[in-house]
Amino acid sequence: MLPPASGTGQYFEKAAKSIRLIRQGCTNRPFYHISVTQRKRLNSQPVIEQLGSYDPMPNINNEKLVALNLERIKFWLGKGAQVSTPVAEILGLAGFFPIHPRSYMTAWRNRKTERENLAKQAEEAKTKENTD
Amino acid sequence: MSTLHIIIPYSAVFKKLDPRLMQCVLAHRKPRWLPVAKSKIYRIPKRPVVPEDERRELMRLNNNYNTYMRAIKQFYRDEMVKEQTTSNSATSEMSLKLDAEEWARCEELNGKWNAQVSLEREERRKIQLAEMEEYALARMEAKDKQLREKIEKASEEIRIQKELSATFITPEKLDQAIEHALANPVDYNFAIDLQGGRYEGRDSPPVLPKNKDEILQ
Repeated sequence: MLPPASGTGQYFEKAAKSIRLIRQGCTNRPFYHISVTQRKRLNSQPVIEQLGSYDPMPNINNEKLVALNLERIKFWLGKGAQVSTPVAEILGLAGFFPIHPRSYMTAWRNRKTERENLAKQAEEAKTKENTD
Repeated sequence: MSTLHIIIPYSAVFKKLDPRLMQCVLAHRKPRWLPVAKSKIYRIPKRPVVPEDERRELMRLNNNYNTYMRAIKQFYRDEMVKEQTTSNSATSEMSLKLDAEEWARCEELNGKWNAQVSLEREERRKIQLAEMEEYALARMEAKDKQLREKIEKASEEIRIQKELSATFITPEKLDQAIEHALANPVDYNFAIDLQGGRYEGRDSPPVLPKNKDEILQ
């Protein structure tokens, strides 16, 4: 039998802990648990505790749903748990941490590509006008 | 000349090692000890180009972020230490008093609930007892009736047998009965004609039915 995805609660006191995303969805349908686990463990191995969930696929209202158990996250941070980058990004957007640099980076890169696309479209329209 | 059959499947080994890893993320990947595919030997991955200003901006952001994070982590660690120390000292008078008050309050409430429940239980038990009594009485009555009927039936049987006992053949009466039987032989044989007339006897002379004339006509 597989161990519960919500965590076994068993861990070594002095081992390094990590708060990370654990993929729980199926093929072509990603879904993540935000869990605390020992840093050396694989993502397929039993976790210590589930701290939240993250659904990266937008729902009908164009929302990506996140659930966080902030009390327990505080507890594990107090215990010195390391936070992985994707989780740090989520927590940054949630206002629990400062915004992660990677969030800024993706944002400005997205803005840049959009600007370029717009410029391209404008140019195409111009050339079309000139030819007509 | 296939060499595939020599390779031990990586996932199979892994599964045998640990049943918890049945759904292993690495199961579909190439094992580390396999060489680079022939078609990929001369492929040189393209290096990402990060502009100098972007790099500097990222560096600045990362430095700031790391500083913030260090402070935040330190804060939570201190918080936990503080909490632990206060919770340890919280076994002192104040918390004990609060606990005692809470306990008393809970006890009072529990007592009230218990009293209420006991009242309800008494009522319910009374009703249940009455029901049980009624049921038992009905059963006893039914049993009595059955017994009476049985006795009645038996006594009736006895009465009939007593009446009949006058005609029983006892050892004293045996000789007389035999004599009587020999003196009056009874022949139960009979014949029937087409009209349904009965002709009693076979060895003994036939006794014609009384209404023979009617039947014959």
